[in-house]
Amino acid sequence: MIVKDAVCPFCGCLCDDIEIEVEEGRVVAVTNACELGTTKFMGEKRMKNPILRDGDEWKDITYDEAIRCAADMLLSAERPLLYGWSGTHGEAQCVGVHMAELIHGVIDNTSSVCHGPSILAIQEVGHPGCTLGVVKNRADLVIYWGSNPIDAHPRHLSRYTRYAEGFFLENAFRDRKVIVIDVRKTQTANVADEFVQIKPGGDYAVISALRAIVQGKADMVPRTVAGVTKEQLIRVANLCKNAKFGAVYFGLGLTMTQGKYKNIRNAIELVSELSRHTKFTISAMRGHYNVYGSNEVNTWMTGYPYGIDFSRGIAFYNPGETTAVDILARKECDAALIVGSDPAAHFPRKCLEHLAEIPVIQLDPYPNATTAFCDIQIPVAVTGIDAEGTAYRMDGVPIRTRKVLSTDYLSDEEVLSRMYALMQEVREQ
Amino acid sequence: MTFLMLTGRTVNQGVTVENKTSAEYAAETSTCFMHGFDMLELGLDDGDTVRVTGPCGDVVMRAAASEEVEMGTVFVPYGPYANHIVAAGTCSTGMPDFKSHRVEIEPTDEEPKMVHELMEDLGGLAYDR
Repeated sequence: MIVKDAVCPFCGCLCDDIEIEVEEGRVVAVTNACELGTTKFMGEKRMKNPILRDGDEWKDITYDEAIRCAADMLLSAERPLLYGWSGTHGEAQCVGVHMAELIHGVIDNTSSVCHGPSILAIQEVGHPGCTLGVVKNRADLVIYWGSNPIDAHPRHLSRYTRYAEGFFLENAFRDRKVIVIDVRKTQTANVADEFVQIKPGGDYAVISALRAIVQGKADMVPRTVAGVTKEQLIRVANLCKNAKFGAVYFGLGLTMTQGKYKNIRNAIELVSELSRHTKFTISAMRGHYNVYGSNEVNTWMTGYPYGIDFSRGIAFYNPGETTAVDILARKECDAALIVGSDPAAHFPRKCLEHLAEIPVIQLDPYPNATTAFCDIQIPVAVTGIDAEGTAYRMDGVPIRTRKVLSTDYLSDEEVLSRMYALMQEVREQ
Repeated sequence: MTFLMLTGRTVNQGVTVENKTSAEYAAETSTCFMHGFDMLELGLDDGDTVRVTGPCGDVVMRAAASEEVEMGTVFVPYGPYANHIVAAGTCSTGMPDFKSHRVEIEPTDEEPKMVHELMEDLGGLAYDR
């Protein structure tokens, strides 16, 4: 059986033109997806059944036992942390928010360690963004700043920018210029028309210099800024001003370095300066396929995009205090529910030392680094493979992922709903 | 020698990310990409092991020459090895300094640990070795 127009559940590009060949309940071939997506569709190393840590051993348990035990653990906690949510569908995220409210927990998603700082900047100065289709069809200048799509979003260049056709561009490959600004000369830099290499930590200064030049104050700019020559800065500023439609895509090279959200704020303000001369937009290269969705779901349900603390009975948001890394490093939470992410692989060690001391429940299809810290892991169906649900693309467009094969695994939404129902029963007593 | 350590996505990290107990994931995320001259300075060949010491401890990785990194900078794919030495401070933003850590690098005879060994060192229990 061939499933056409399947949606790839790997990165924020959420490519929706994938063809999957299924034989005897297994994916045997994948067409159109990149290497990252193909490997995910073909992945077979699933955990077979829920497991419970019993001293220094792992015991197989049933779904009923696992769900009951997980609900009890979370109900007994005073300050539970519900973290992850980017690797699952919106319907499961909704249940997660209800659960956090019921048990007065903190719910945070992986954006706190990816584009959380970008959201902080957007809250300060707004987001002049657009959909990927607008960029594909109109942009004659694309800037990748601190992002390396060849490794992280492999089809971004072929579907929307460097190698894409554009409705309003006669010869898109010739007419569309690509600038890469980075501290490393990445593979993406090699396919750019212009590569601007910045000294690490120099992004803020380079953005400020470009803003000055765009404002007509080039004489204020020194001969080099963070390793970039004034000549190159002026050339880049002119390319931007002379473009008919420019688009900036920024990655974690801006959010994870010194300055963090201030870098993004400055970049958004540069785009706002450029929009006085021409049309310019800026958007984040979102990583997980549904990390944008976790921000959307949290925002419409609580008013805040991530790091939401229900301990007061109402939603409270203070990144740096109510975000997962901080809560774990301060040894503040006394239980954790992890859904659709792997904090043990991606958080600093101090956070893991605390995970080792508290009850941890994980919903994940695969054994991963966090498994080692779990008391219970419940394997679930993979959204986009054997479960369906809504995900948000990096430009905020919701796309319904499809189920390409059927298995006996429950979806995240089903497991969470059953846990939530048990919790409600206990709380109502 | 002191270096600035950056972390980030690589295709090989992404391909193995749903199979974290594999040797391939361990190999990719324990690779320390360095400038050829820096490796020369430290007397390292491709594949030699190095001890990388950060603000929170040390971890053994394997050096690999890369044209993408500048002298004085090293690049390590996201994962449990880099995070074994990354500090948890976030300057009230929620975001650790994943791309701006100063680290000390020296040659060593030790081998990099497997992912489950790193997790056990921090109090975890390996499920799938």
